[in-house]
Amino acid sequence: MPRTLSLLVALIVSPVALGAPPDFDTQIAPLLASHCTDCHSGPKPKGKLDLTRKAGAERSIAARKPNDSELYSRVAAGEMPPKKPLPAAEQKLLKDWIEAGAKWGTDPIDPFAITTKTRAGYDWWSLQPVKRPAVPAGANAIDHFVRKKLNDNGLSLSPEADKRTLIRRLYFDLIGLPPTPEEVAAFEKDTRANAYELLVEKLLASPHHGERWARHWLDVVRFGESDGFERNAPRPTAWHYRDWVIRALNADMPFDKFARLQLAGDVLHPADADAVRATGFLVAGVHNTVLGNDQMRAIARQDELEDIVGGVAQTFLGLTANCARCHDHKFDPISQKDFYSLASALGGVGFGERQLPSAQHAEAVAKAEAKVKAARDALEALESPARAAALKARGVKEDRRAPTPVAAWDFRKSADDLVGKLHAKPAGGAKLTPDGATFDGKTGFFRTAPLSFELKAKTLEAWVKLDSLTQRGGGVMTVQSPDGNEFDAIVFGENEPAKWMAGSEFFRRTQALRGEVETSTKFVHVAITFADDGTITGFRDGKPYGKGYASKGPVEFKSNNAVVAFGVRHEPVGGNKLLAGTVCLARLYDKALSPEEVAASFAAGSVFASDAEIDAQLTAEDRTRRANLRTERDSAVKALAFVRALVVESKTYANVPLPPGVTKVLFRGDLATPGPVVSPAGVAAVRAANPDFALKPDAPDADRRKKLAEWITSPRNPLFARVIVNRVWHYHFGTGIVDTPNDFGFNGGRPSHPELLDWLASEFVDGKYSLKGLHKLIVTSATYKQASALRKEASAKDAETRFLWRYKPRRLEGEAVRDAMLSVSGLLNAEVGGRGFSDYRERNFNGTAYFEPFDPVGPEFHRRSVYRFAPRGANQGLLDTFDCPDPAAAAPRRASTTTPLQALALWNNGFALRAADAFATRATKGTDGAEAQTRAAWRLALQRDPTADELKIATKLVADHGLKALCRVLFNGNEFVVVE
Amino acid sequence: MLLDRRNFLSLGALTALHQLAGAKPHHAPKAKRAIQISLVGGLSHIDSFDYKPELTKRHGQALGGDAKPDVFFGQVGLLRKPDWEFKKRGQSGLWVSELFPHVAGVADELTVIRSMVADSANHTPALFVQNSGFQFNGYPALGSWLSYGLGSVADDLPAFVVLPDGRGDPNGAASNWNSGFLPAQHQGVIFRGGDSPVRDLFPEKPVPPKEEVDSRAALDALNALHLAKSGGEADLAARMNSYALAAKMQLAVPAVADLSKEPAKLKTAYGLDDPKTADCGRRCLLARRLLEKGVRFVQLYSGGPIAGAPRTSWDAHENVKENHGAEAARIDQPVAALVRDLKDRGMLKDTLVLFTTEFGRTPFAQSAGNVVGTGRDHNKYGFSCWLAGAGLKPGTAFGATDDVGWKAAEHPVPWYDFHATVLHVLGIDHEKLTYYHNGIQRRLTNVHGEVVKGLLG
Repeated sequence: MPRTLSLLVALIVSPVALGAPPDFDTQIAPLLASHCTDCHSGPKPKGKLDLTRKAGAERSIAARKPNDSELYSRVAAGEMPPKKPLPAAEQKLLKDWIEAGAKWGTDPIDPFAITTKTRAGYDWWSLQPVKRPAVPAGANAIDHFVRKKLNDNGLSLSPEADKRTLIRRLYFDLIGLPPTPEEVAAFEKDTRANAYELLVEKLLASPHHGERWARHWLDVVRFGESDGFERNAPRPTAWHYRDWVIRALNADMPFDKFARLQLAGDVLHPADADAVRATGFLVAGVHNTVLGNDQMRAIARQDELEDIVGGVAQTFLGLTANCARCHDHKFDPISQKDFYSLASALGGVGFGERQLPSAQHAEAVAKAEAKVKAARDALEALESPARAAALKARGVKEDRRAPTPVAAWDFRKSADDLVGKLHAKPAGGAKLTPDGATFDGKTGFFRTAPLSFELKAKTLEAWVKLDSLTQRGGGVMTVQSPDGNEFDAIVFGENEPAKWMAGSEFFRRTQALRGEVETSTKFVHVAITFADDGTITGFRDGKPYGKGYASKGPVEFKSNNAVVAFGVRHEPVGGNKLLAGTVCLARLYDKALSPEEVAASFAAGSVFASDAEIDAQLTAEDRTRRANLRTERDSAVKALAFVRALVVESKTYANVPLPPGVTKVLFRGDLATPGPVVSPAGVAAVRAANPDFALKPDAPDADRRKKLAEWITSPRNPLFARVIVNRVWHYHFGTGIVDTPNDFGFNGGRPSHPELLDWLASEFVDGKYSLKGLHKLIVTSATYKQASALRKEASAKDAETRFLWRYKPRRLEGEAVRDAMLSVSGLLNAEVGGRGFSDYRERNFNGTAYFEPFDPVGPEFHRRSVYRFAPRGANQGLLDTFDCPDPAAAAPRRASTTTPLQALALWNNGFALRAADAFATRATKGTDGAEAQTRAAWRLALQRDPTADELKIATKLVADHGLKALCRVLFNGNEFVVVE
Repeated sequence: MLLDRRNFLSLGALTALHQLAGAKPHHAPKAKRAIQISLVGGLSHIDSFDYKPELTKRHGQALGGDAKPDVFFGQVGLLRKPDWEFKKRGQSGLWVSELFPHVAGVADELTVIRSMVADSANHTPALFVQNSGFQFNGYPALGSWLSYGLGSVADDLPAFVVLPDGRGDPNGAASNWNSGFLPAQHQGVIFRGGDSPVRDLFPEKPVPPKEEVDSRAALDALNALHLAKSGGEADLAARMNSYALAAKMQLAVPAVADLSKEPAKLKTAYGLDDPKTADCGRRCLLARRLLEKGVRFVQLYSGGPIAGAPRTSWDAHENVKENHGAEAARIDQPVAALVRDLKDRGMLKDTLVLFTTEFGRTPFAQSAGNVVGTGRDHNKYGFSCWLAGAGLKPGTAFGATDDVGWKAAEHPVPWYDFHATVLHVLGIDHEKLTYYHNGIQRRLTNVHGEVVKGLLG
């Protein structure tokens, strides 16, 4: 084990009384569990030998005859375990046990029963209830425990740091910005006994505190603003979550509530927009949108669930539960069943944008919708009799009540839209024949003029004759963005031979409709409806074609930003996108038709009164009325679009629940080998809080997540409080009491101060989970206020400062370096909250987003770094070199490197040089002469006056090259980027 | 030293690039450095390095067999023979098609793996696996692991350099050369053309040379005063040193990127004066210079973004002949020139050359079931990559696909094994090169990987 704190290692090998035979439960079972049962267990044990059960193991054991026992002889021969022979001592243990009669104990063996040399059991330290240790009356608890550990190791606390060091430390630590020279001066002059406490309170009350600590939290939850993977689509509304975190931290929301809202806010408080924003946590990670066939989709969902389970369990419990997807956890008492129970609890988590609940907004939209409906109804009332009359005039017996489309084509006559202005034009050699629009499957298709209205819910309907039933992928009718990057289409045979499907870009809204294989090469009627709630349903010859399914919601095509095309899946043409066949009739509707309406439309067939026919039935007066009503309808539609656009800020990237289904254990994580069904539940080893949710396997998503949140945040769950107090400690001191903040398991670190950790955890729970209370507790301790100077004698004993004999100096994170430069130069735009800014140029190349960094100038870009748009897989020169993590994975502790590329970035980067110039301009204001300006610069950047030596070096540089040269040097100096 | 680098994360170990230089490998390495030519989009093995006479014979027939192949676009056309003629090459008689006539000229140096298999038939996850062993964002690339394990030979150049296709970055962009959870210094550094090949190498706006020199001197002097006051904090000294190294880099990087002093004949050999080959030729020549000056790992891409028309990658869904013909014409001559040049300089013996693609293409056309279409779909079940140099078995092929080149049939080589072998050749035991992250000692090869002994000389 690579841990250095051997004194803390809690592994106790029970001493064996001389002569006594090895005990099965405490010695043999752990041995088998550590070395053998990975392979020799489960439904298909290797060599058909199950060593977890007496009945399974028996055939390999001959009591009192080790050499006749395969269990021993294979081990003694070095064959087992393969490649990793058992150490001699353990071989002997096994031999002794068999010689003594091989008495079996608890059956079957529970590999998690106790902690062994190779893994943690139920008795693992972090799973035990928090015990509040006693503290002598009047003592500061933190200092008490730290002093105790220092004493034990022959060390002592360093003296308190000077006031300038303390105020600088506190500012960076609590708000992430440097103090102004005036604030330093005021603090230095403040002789009140509680001056320090007052300063702490002031900083904790600052709106910048939430910005600083939100950045830490966003690291942990791997908050990124793009999907990752191939398309890496940006998430322009994901910032709501970031904003919510900032506000919650500023408001000192109790941490248990903070956790509950992130896990289940949308179901706990469905009408509360903030509770919905909080669930951005669940979908902060990556999301694969290029999924290929159904199998690839299912695997991708499993991968996604692993990431979500890992995110939840690591963030709140310090458990790497994700490691138990394919097998029981190799190091911690987390079974595969536990993993799938958690996966079941989170099985309803879905990625996407959702409307934030807002009564005001809902009302405005409803009003606008009602106006649209009224206009349509009035129009329909006028047109309906005229339509009936027109049909009657043509000899049609009755009005079959076919719904009214927004566009309709009869290609046997022309390619013109019979309702509106979506006239189609042939391209690539497609032509009109007496049968309809005919396509060759190679180059030909028809395309209409752009839609002059917005289209979200929709129905595509066409009568089509296929040239061949083996053709694959051709589109009959599609609504697409002008570049073809987004589309909803009727497609033939693309994913499955001879079946109809709803085509969409990268199959985003495509699933099998599960209808019958097409067998007709005569005209068939095909319709697909796309409802507002995302339901997609297919119809053939007026009847449902297979089953509808839920998708993420329909594409919303903006006015003038979509066209209809026939004979092609989507543009650009090529590959298998083109149809070989003929379309005679087609219609487009701006709603999802009901099955009855589709049936009626099919029955009506070509019996359809065109615009001109209807007009012909009206009086001149009614024709004018009709025209007016149409104008009214169109403006009502536009008004609706406007109202929707007005509240675009009311959408957020958050959890969009999916039907959670029933979860099964998957052996080896493989969908091909499903095991037993599991119910939503917590991790069984966390026993203090009841992990049984008492839910059925098919319980609704809301119940699952509510129970999960309850279990995680239970005051009896020892991990919940320990993990967060350790995180907070980590950010205050640079290293946690446990130095692996996301992992309190066997592979993680052991607590350097176990009593302190438990005291903090218990104090935190008693203090009603107040994070600000915890911050105050920590930063007012003598431990925190120590000076940082290196003491050689202490360093020799504890170079890593794990025992806290000083405040260890730290290099600022990249964001803090950038923010400090903005602040010192006077460029900082201190606006708190809201939509952020982006210093990337975004390029969309055929559906894949690329993000290229640039250096934008202007106050809107000079906001704090927490407001930077943070896509994945995008290099940002300056911040990257300072170890700002790509949000692809959780970063519970950041690396802190020093490299030449980092030096080059800070020295030469355009932003850094610009900030240095602005800094120089600021320091020049109201000062005269090189020395005065130098002093001003020093106070701004370093919150102190220069020494005589420094002044000499600096004024020479200023005299030769101007103040901006000095300002650049100050930004690059060690003292600027290090907090002491 | 390789075993435990966790302490890098603690504050007491701010690291500078040079601290890793000369880190000791686990065993005597055959190669000191490596270059990977990464073909994005999926090179058709049956049109290039995997000769299948049976496929030609069965041209126009159905693949047959019980199960319907699960290919990305779901279209299984009839078998299609290669669009290029195969010939035995050189002394070794290794089969290489006319798609790569120049590379065929160095066939005696190549060790072809004809039985590669991939985890995914989806471009970006497959490319991620090729680069990092995982299908997801956030895992360190091979080059990052090498940088972490071996460091750079030179202290004035990064250990891991990336040379993207002039037409753009592959999908996933920097995620392909990200250092993941390894410290940022192990990230791939992009070298582009122009006066400042590395980002922020020189001031974004001009600074007079005298001012630059005096400013650096002042920075150094002020840092020295601060260091003394701190009691000699090692991290602060390391930071001062990083500025000294940065200054060295400012000299070394433009020098290594300056191709003007290379002999005209050599530039012609690399294809620099032909517009078709100039982009790849320039990067191949630059790669050789980088390797020569001590860069540990160079990754050079052939192919930019995957989707779209016209194609800018090897993703020949529509027409293999057109697409592969055009793509190969860009890289064939430069890649062959690179292998020759390395050989001529005596560098090939301790340089590992990798020629890879994320997956292969199907032996059947991507078209209707009764048609021999012109394109081929993705194939994760069997494809070819080749290696050269570093004492491997030259002029040989390892493993085999079935009769028509659909699936690996002999010695399947997953990327884990490929990676384990690459690390082995560079002196690293893939099971011992680990880094702790969120609960697990992470490896490039996850919990898999076997060194492919059959490739080693």
